Amino acid sequence: MRCEEKIPGGKLIAVEVWASGNVVARAKITGDFFLHPEEAITRAEASLAGLPLPAEEGEVAARLRAALDGAQLIGATAGDFARLFMRAVA
Amino acid sequence: MNWRIIPYSENDAFLNMAIDEAVGESVAAGAQPTIRFYGWKPSAVSIGYFQSLEQEVDLKRCSELGVDFVRRRTGGGAVYHDNVGEITYSVMGKQEMFPSDILASYRLICGWICDSLASLGMDAEFKPINDIAVAGKKISGNAQTRRGGVLLQHGTVLHSVDVDRMFSVLRVSDEKIKDKMIANVKERVTSITQQKPDVSRALALHALVQGFTKGKQFETGQLTPAELARAGQLAAERYLTDGWNCMR
Repeated sequence: MRCEEKIPGGKLIAVEVWASGNVVARAKITGDFFLHPEEAITRAEASLAGLPLPAEEGEVAARLRAALDGAQLIGATAGDFARLFMRAVA
Repeated sequence: MNWRIIPYSENDAFLNMAIDEAVGESVAAGAQPTIRFYGWKPSAVSIGYFQSLEQEVDLKRCSELGVDFVRRRTGGGAVYHDNVGEITYSVMGKQEMFPSDILASYRLICGWICDSLASLGMDAEFKPINDIAVAGKKISGNAQTRRGGVLLQHGTVLHSVDVDRMFSVLRVSDEKIKDKMIANVKERVTSITQQKPDVSRALALHALVQGFTKGKQFETGQLTPAELARAGQLAAERYLTDGWNCMR
């Protein structure tokens, strides 16, 4: 399950989700955005593993924001990632 | 602050990325801030840190054409670095030399490119987040990372551009609209040669050196043996490996 979107005024982002039963097994966030430090993307992806499906967008966004706390995202927001996640699992 | 300027040289994609990282490490350890100019031999595709290699690059076509591919440590998009058409630069300096705001630091360094292009008679404009445009068309893309207290920004300036060749190795998300997309990119991208046909590659490079060094104390230097050795190690251990290039 993969969804991508060009953020108006920002960058292209894609979210890919693998589910195991009703649980997120793995999520991958790719695109041409910037994130400082770059390794924070691993925390963001890990924060979604184990999430029960169906998920609430608010919960997804909260997990991503917590994982990206202290990192600087440019060209997209944690909310954009959450929205794409919801479309990917829809 | 006395900058070290490393004159233009050509390396393969893996060594180019490794040199930028090795110089960043030496700057973190106290070496001079450094500006480096370089080319890619053979031509190569670099992808941003967060991009999917398989989504962005036609690996089979790269192999057929002898085009290398490498993942950068910086974010941003996939770039086709043509051996003939493109000039690349990198800037490595302690973070405190630059604005802490990332967009402001892009604006500062991209301003050096705009000055260079202005000296060649082009009205260049920084287009946030990380592009430079002439006559409304992109002529330069740039990407930045900050690690170990060091800012690294590298970027490209198109001296000439062959969009068809570019898209022979870059993938588009929807093959059905590839022709339309290529036509669109041809409308949105320009090069020094398109704007100023009489400006040679050598003259463009000279203008870039002038623009990057204007108002700075600097000396022309070379990579140290230690930096070259470290770059070789980083190329072998990171940039040449599938573990790095295929990690996303």
